[in-house]
Amino acid sequence: MSEWLENHLPKIVLAPSFIGVLVFVYGFIAWTAWVSLTRSKLLPRYEIKGFVQYEKLFDSPRWDTAMNNLFIFGTLFIVIAMVLGLLLAIMLDQKIRTEGVIRTIYLYPMALSMIVTGTAWKWILNPGLGIEATVRGWGYENFSFDWVVNPDYAIYTIVLAAVWQSSGFVMALFLAGLRSVDGEIIKAAQVDGIPTWRIYSAIIIPSMAPIFLSAFIVLAHLAIKIFDLVIALTGGGPGYATDLPATYMYAMAFSRGDIGQAASSAMIMMLVVFTIVVPYLYSELRSKNDG
Amino acid sequence: MAIVAQSSKFGTYGRPILAWAVGLLFFFPIFYMVMTSFKTDADAVKPEFLFFFTPTLDNYLNMAENYDYWRFAKNSVITAVLATVFTMFVGIPAAYAMAFNPSRATKDVLMWMLSTKMLPAAAVLYPMIYLAKGIGLYDTKVLIVTVLSLINLPIAIWMLFTYFKEIPKDIIEAGKMDGVNTWGEIKEILVPLAWGGIASTALLIFIFCWNEAYWTVRLTTIDAATLSKLIEGNRAPEGLFFGRLSAVSTAAVGPIVVLGWFCQKQLVQGLTFGAVK
Repeated sequence: MSEWLENHLPKIVLAPSFIGVLVFVYGFIAWTAWVSLTRSKLLPRYEIKGFVQYEKLFDSPRWDTAMNNLFIFGTLFIVIAMVLGLLLAIMLDQKIRTEGVIRTIYLYPMALSMIVTGTAWKWILNPGLGIEATVRGWGYENFSFDWVVNPDYAIYTIVLAAVWQSSGFVMALFLAGLRSVDGEIIKAAQVDGIPTWRIYSAIIIPSMAPIFLSAFIVLAHLAIKIFDLVIALTGGGPGYATDLPATYMYAMAFSRGDIGQAASSAMIMMLVVFTIVVPYLYSELRSKNDG
Repeated sequence: MAIVAQSSKFGTYGRPILAWAVGLLFFFPIFYMVMTSFKTDADAVKPEFLFFFTPTLDNYLNMAENYDYWRFAKNSVITAVLATVFTMFVGIPAAYAMAFNPSRATKDVLMWMLSTKMLPAAAVLYPMIYLAKGIGLYDTKVLIVTVLSLINLPIAIWMLFTYFKEIPKDIIEAGKMDGVNTWGEIKEILVPLAWGGIASTALLIFIFCWNEAYWTVRLTTIDAATLSKLIEGNRAPEGLFFGRLSAVSTAAVGPIVVLGWFCQKQLVQGLTFGAVK
């Protein structure tokens, strides 16, 4: 009996979490997939009607804006956070004595509620309260910084706040990566008189490829799921200018009472995540089998 | 290994100064909020009082009256603590089983569980609300604790696994030889050895629970509403109650700032999912 228990213990211990995840995640996704094929409005209905919701979704200019914004926001956010994170990591990797404290400060934005920090950014960026008002108060009457209320530029304020929030995290990942590069190779290169920037670009950065990949995956899924920050900072506005798929889904489900639309947009979001995550998981599993 | 630039004036003084300047920039939005919380609502909207103002504690003293702060704070503390304890209670044995009795599917299961964390919550939110209302758990702390535990469990198991698998298997085997049962192994051998990793994981899960807004805002109305709900519901139009909103916002992130400051090592380990040891 005890031997049987010993052998099956891992499965018994894992079963509750396994079943929990299975039922709650996949069961509910199945429900959403089903509802996305119906004409549900305020309440879910279960008669399958085909792809009407998806047709409506792709015809909707608001959804178009949301997907466009996701593309603009996602690209800028990932690229800037990675570049800034790498530069910060290289800067901190210079044997600075107070490194520990500085690293904590860089990481703080990641630890704080985005509802709160997004609100703080909203105040700072607000033309009547924050940067614009302050600089004008200093006597520069023509200074203008109204991105947050300008439909053409509002999306960039979300990039700004999101980069602020995540670049410390990327920095910490890259810093760990820089420290794990083989010192002998670097010394040899230095002895050969190779300039520092060449050592970084030809030796150190290529050897950190796996870290770039993990950082990319984390940032990409943050970008697709970003919600709290948009709600706190712009609320999707002005108008629909900063709508993203997550806020579109939320608006449909809770203010428009259009569950069918909410469900179909959720399914499309999931497809986007899958196209990014599945290749990553596949490469992870393959590397395991090779190893 | 670090490439340290040849010693120069810039290297010795410039870099630390630059690093601190960037640090100040990073801290500025938080600092701005804290500073505003000590201004009156009227002063807060006047740019000329940006740095120079007569500080007041009124915003904090009236917080309970204006926003019923303590009720929300109490809910935040209760749900975040219980969810963290529950997650660790389920997560530690699960990660233990994966690390020391791995089967061929272990890593697949792990990656699969982690992949669920990446899925957009949007696809799960609505049915969850529906179910919660159906079984009468809507707006209860039980529901919030359950949801917080479920959404954080994959990340907890995965992080604990990365710490546990660094412990030599022989030590656990030795315990088995001495006739210690599984529970004893976890309590007497594993937890003391992996204490650092467990603490980092617990801190991370606590932070995630405390900050959670997507679920808690929609699954609560009054009884189980947390600080996220309070802040979300009070994002006033421009300039209105600016000072007192800053105070309540500061009081909502304050516990994390202070906790993070005293547990810097765990904070860095946790937030980087164990990548920085």
